[in-house]
Amino acid sequence: MVDHPAVEVSGLSVSYGSTPVLVDVGLTVPAGTGVCVTGENGIGKSTLLRCVSSLQRPDAGTIRVFGGEPGETPDFWRAVVTTVEPPTWYPGLTTREHAELICRAHGQDPDDAGIAEAFERFGLGGHADAIPPSLSSGQKQRLTLLLALLRPSSLLILDEPEQRLDPDGRALVAAMLADYLTAGGSLLLASHDDKFAFASGAEITTMDSLSGPGA
Amino acid sequence: MTATVPLRPVRRWIHRTQSAHRDRGETLGSLYFALLFVVIVGAMLHQQITAVLWPEQPRLSGVSAIALGVLCGSLLLMTLRRLGPVSLSRPAAYFLLTAPVSRRRLLLPAARLTAIAAALLAAAAGFAVVGHTTQRDAAPVAAMTAGAAVAGVALFLAAVTAQGDPVRAALTDRIVAFTLAAALAELVAEAAGWAPPTLAGWPTATIVVPLVGALTVLVTAGFLHAVRGLARTPNDRILESSQTAGTLFDAAFGMEPSWVADMVERRFWAHRRLRSSRPPARLPVLIGQDYLLARRHLPRLLWLTAATTLPLLVAGGSGWLLATVLPLGAMIAAGTTTATVKTDAGNPVLLRLLGLSSRQALTQRLAIPAVLATTWATLAMTLLQATGKVPGSLWWLLGLTLGPIGAAAAVRRARVGFVRNDLLPLDTPMGTVSTGPLLSSVAGPDLLILSLPTMLAIATNTPPTLTTIAIQAVVTALGVRAYVTYSTSNDRVDLTR
Repeated sequence: MVDHPAVEVSGLSVSYGSTPVLVDVGLTVPAGTGVCVTGENGIGKSTLLRCVSSLQRPDAGTIRVFGGEPGETPDFWRAVVTTVEPPTWYPGLTTREHAELICRAHGQDPDDAGIAEAFERFGLGGHADAIPPSLSSGQKQRLTLLLALLRPSSLLILDEPEQRLDPDGRALVAAMLADYLTAGGSLLLASHDDKFAFASGAEITTMDSLSGPGA
Repeated sequence: MTATVPLRPVRRWIHRTQSAHRDRGETLGSLYFALLFVVIVGAMLHQQITAVLWPEQPRLSGVSAIALGVLCGSLLLMTLRRLGPVSLSRPAAYFLLTAPVSRRRLLLPAARLTAIAAALLAAAAGFAVVGHTTQRDAAPVAAMTAGAAVAGVALFLAAVTAQGDPVRAALTDRIVAFTLAAALAELVAEAAGWAPPTLAGWPTATIVVPLVGALTVLVTAGFLHAVRGLARTPNDRILESSQTAGTLFDAAFGMEPSWVADMVERRFWAHRRLRSSRPPARLPVLIGQDYLLARRHLPRLLWLTAATTLPLLVAGGSGWLLATVLPLGAMIAAGTTTATVKTDAGNPVLLRLLGLSSRQALTQRLAIPAVLATTWATLAMTLLQATGKVPGSLWWLLGLTLGPIGAAAAVRRARVGFVRNDLLPLDTPMGTVSTGPLLSSVAGPDLLILSLPTMLAIATNTPPTLTTIAIQAVVTALGVRAYVTYSTSNDRVDLTR
């Protein structure tokens, strides 16, 4: 897996009807590094992330994730975590039980996975017994990121993770993403906050710079 | 302080503006079609309606009639509690509830309409209950029907009283649950062979009429009192009932019953206080989650246990009715934990996070529903066998084989997703039929066809043999395995297909 770049995109084109959103986009995220894509609303950041996550089929171009085609196989989703899509929650399960469920599905012992510490770090310690729909939008965002970072993975694809987070929350998440990179993980994110992207250790690039033959 | 704005001109303006957007004669056209529909359906089903309301050979005992009346009353009060009953349309709740208008005048039309509907429904139920007894004299029947209508309004008042106060609401719901259970218990006991005490006789019109008159006076006074107190109905209760009415309207208009199911599920969990706990570690991860969910549905499990006696009620009628009720009951029991499957089928975000294949997920998700359905079907069969409603002695073994079918049907139902309204409609001699809602409604129950060997044995009143049981077991095993194999894959996580 480490022999290949984490993400390799070339000649990617996507249109919505007659409106082109991505034109001949190229991007490489070397394994163990992070790239943050910036740009104004509607420029195609989320579309790019959705294509890399295999959640959207491009009109043209090739995408490789760790050398293979992104797909919907369990192996792919064991390596990749994305927050590109809005989260959903199981009915009748508390926030802590969601975390334990995900740990157990990945063979982690819930007691050793550091769930309690993660809840404290994300400021959700007092909400372990709450059901996710009862949380505020900012708390739900923290929970989504907590679950994404709790389970083992090789690549994180995050769409504007700083959204709905207060300044402390942004600093905390950025630090955790930096730790994730230090531990060998790869990161592809879209963001409007350069300060947050810089703190996360990701290299910042604009969508404009990714388009065209030279990209 | 803002002065109170008269409501009538505001409502008149809204009505006039809405009417301006309709074609001329559209309302009359809708009314014509509604009346035509009622007349046609009435003409087609008049024999069945007569059999329900006024059968030729009434068989209900006096005690059963009381139990049936209590059952209908409990169901009516339960429905009124779920609806509000004091409610507003969603636009009115948004624009007028916060406007400086008289709250009493704002809420009165809907309250009046609900009271009238409750009275009509109660009168129909009262007439039908009396029609199933030996009491056929016109005067007492008319008086009892009128009494039932007044009782319907009394139930509406009880629901209004409960709506304004959480303590009274909880108490009312408990009383309704108790009366419902007691009435069902009496009916089941009688169906199982218990002989109820004979009542002294039906009260004559001379007793019933003054009683109904006194009740009418009391209920009228209560209604006037309730109207005076309408303005004190808490906003959150009105908004909740407005949301309920809106969701019901949307579900009916869009032919999408899953919206109502989602609302019920959301409200159920929103009112629960949970404490994080851990399922047994040896259980596979999704079975463990469903185990937790089943444990948290204890009231539903108790009702399901009680419902194993319900097939006794239909055992005296058509064999096919009983043959259909049993697998359907198993499917409903299995549906206790399938909300998780519905979540995954609607949006596979969590399945991707779990990294399990669709086959692993579905196999694990079938386990707890299969246990629940098997237990339900086996208990129901054992009761039918023990009370002699079905001949032979091996029915409980057939119950064991029905469970996995009920589980597969419930899981398939949970995977259906939204109704597809883009499918081509079918033109039939009776009119156009939308295929989307039709296909959606049968997805799930269609798998119950796997229980055909058992259904045939029940419908033909044939004692099951070991061969019957072996055939059913093989059909169950092959059918459920085929469903899992052809609807999932080891190479994808998505449960939608």
